[in-house]
Amino acid sequence: MALNFDLTEEQNLTRQAVRDFAEKEIAPVAQLLDEREEFSVELTRKMAEIGLLGCCVPEKYGGSNIGYTSYIIAVEELARVDGSQAATIAAANSLGIGPIYQFGNEKQREEWLPRLCSGDILAAFGLTEPEAGSDAGSSQTRAELRGDHWVINGSKIFITNSACSLTGVIIVQAITGRRGDGKLEVSCLLVPADAAGLTAREMKGKMMWRASNTGELFFDDCAVPEVNLLGKRGDGFHQMLSTLDRGRLSIAAMGLGGSQGAFELAVQYANSRVQFGRPISSFQVNAFKLADMALEIELARNLLYKACWLLENERPFTVEAAMAKLYCSEVMHRCVHHAVQLHGGYGLMKDYRVERMYRDQRLLEIGEGTSEVLRIIIARNIGIAGRAM
Amino acid sequence: MNLIVCVKEIPDPETPASAFAIDPEAKRAIPAKDTPPVISPFDEQAVEAALRMKDELGGKVTVLSMGAPSAEKVLKHTLSMGADEAFLLNDGAFDNPDSTSTAYALAQAIKKVGEYDIVFCGRQAGDFDAGQVGSGIAESLGIPSVTVVKKIDVSDGKARVERVLPDGYEVVEVSLPALVTVSSELGEPRYATLKGIMAAAKKTVPVWNTQEIGAESSKVGASGARTKIQKLFIPVRESKCEMLEGENEEEAASKLALKLREVKLI
Repeated sequence: MALNFDLTEEQNLTRQAVRDFAEKEIAPVAQLLDEREEFSVELTRKMAEIGLLGCCVPEKYGGSNIGYTSYIIAVEELARVDGSQAATIAAANSLGIGPIYQFGNEKQREEWLPRLCSGDILAAFGLTEPEAGSDAGSSQTRAELRGDHWVINGSKIFITNSACSLTGVIIVQAITGRRGDGKLEVSCLLVPADAAGLTAREMKGKMMWRASNTGELFFDDCAVPEVNLLGKRGDGFHQMLSTLDRGRLSIAAMGLGGSQGAFELAVQYANSRVQFGRPISSFQVNAFKLADMALEIELARNLLYKACWLLENERPFTVEAAMAKLYCSEVMHRCVHHAVQLHGGYGLMKDYRVERMYRDQRLLEIGEGTSEVLRIIIARNIGIAGRAM
Repeated sequence: MNLIVCVKEIPDPETPASAFAIDPEAKRAIPAKDTPPVISPFDEQAVEAALRMKDELGGKVTVLSMGAPSAEKVLKHTLSMGADEAFLLNDGAFDNPDSTSTAYALAQAIKKVGEYDIVFCGRQAGDFDAGQVGSGIAESLGIPSVTVVKKIDVSDGKARVERVLPDGYEVVEVSLPALVTVSSELGEPRYATLKGIMAAAKKTVPVWNTQEIGAESSKVGASGARTKIQKLFIPVRESKCEMLEGENEEEAASKLALKLREVKLI
């Protein structure tokens, strides 16, 4: 009797509420924001108002505490309509609020979480560097303890929510010394957005997620108080891995939601587009494309929700999270490919939503663990001789 | 303030007519099976009106619906928006009602809730658009009612109500308790919040039957209906396109204006 695919009432109501919000508030402006490459403070605040920030944080810190699966469903529903807004929410929750709640001490939680959950400010997670992408271990940003301050030098790149007017704090991963075994000691520091010595530059000219904010950060003798250390000194690498494991589920949700959105657009268009005297969906070559999309979306959803179930039941979920992120993003790759194909020439035009989804998909196979890195993670856990690399 | 709102579950009004089938024998419209049931949009605005009043003056918002068990979802939605409690009127005897028997059953339920200052309804349901139930409830309760309302201010045990007219609005003062039917001019209803959803999921929606609301079975559902549907059908809509030529924009525009006047559109 234990196997059960029913969602809870909260989860169903969450889907309905976020879908309603996304269709009324996001869909009408998504194309314009994409075209202008504009991050919308107004829309972010509206998303905060319905409780989309702090989804997994207790109410005493201002969160909505809806549980991880409901959070994933919320991101899925945002991504069904627009990747950019889903990205803002996924990054804010999983990469910004998440580590502060998970690893922060009580004082740090009380200092930051209420303002983060209300949408007053956003938090960003500074990990990637120009020379450290998939090879996160080769990062060069350093923080040195001088007196009672950490002094940070280095730079970060491709950091979501890090360079807009709402950015309030950045969790910066930095090398803070050497451990006893000679390896680098990595720690995370909370850096207020207005810290002296920090320069944030908004990155423009993106192909995708054009209405989400992406920043490049430069630290030049940027000093923060010693108490801004997140968790324990030397825990930075572990914190990063844990944050990415959870974050991957939200990227997977973006792949799933985007697939669903592209599928619905494809069905709608293929049913209404008439060629050779009949709707193009009635041609088997097209019906099979739609059938494949439906099949893969079903599989993707089952895999992702199972990974969420593992997390919520405090079981190991690293491999399933990697699988879900890999699979959902690749399913969306195939879904947007088919959806554009079904739209024909119109699918290449910006007037059609599917064009934006086609571009937005591309990040999912790259951000928060490339598909290649995810295959390494999976390979290391399936009994292959030696250490897959 | 004790505020009561009556809401109805209807098939999503965005659904095209082609998605419905008509059962000519039973005289019922059958929506396609994937048509989602939703709260009637005017009723959602009635919930919003009650919540705004609660925000301003404090109190309690109770929501009632008569309908199928699936109407519990609609009631949960109102709880997610911020309503305090909800009750569902469900009984085989309530089936196939008209406006009169619906108003009677809801009025009985309102009496069971007990204390109330204002009863809110949507100006009309988003499916049959009869717009009768609100006034019917007021009649049954013996309280004043104001229809098609866009704004309500309460002070000194009275309500100052703005009532929408075709060319503006009139201001009506009404003693309390009273019933208002809310129009879309009120403004957009709020979204359900995720915190509201968490609270709503913890609440149960009690179900009331004929006895529980102290109703006479001859006055509810089909037995209490005073109207009969003679014929139910989907009207055929024809449209045609006529292109108007003109030497220049002014000439084309004046021809268009004359044409629109000819067909009595302006």
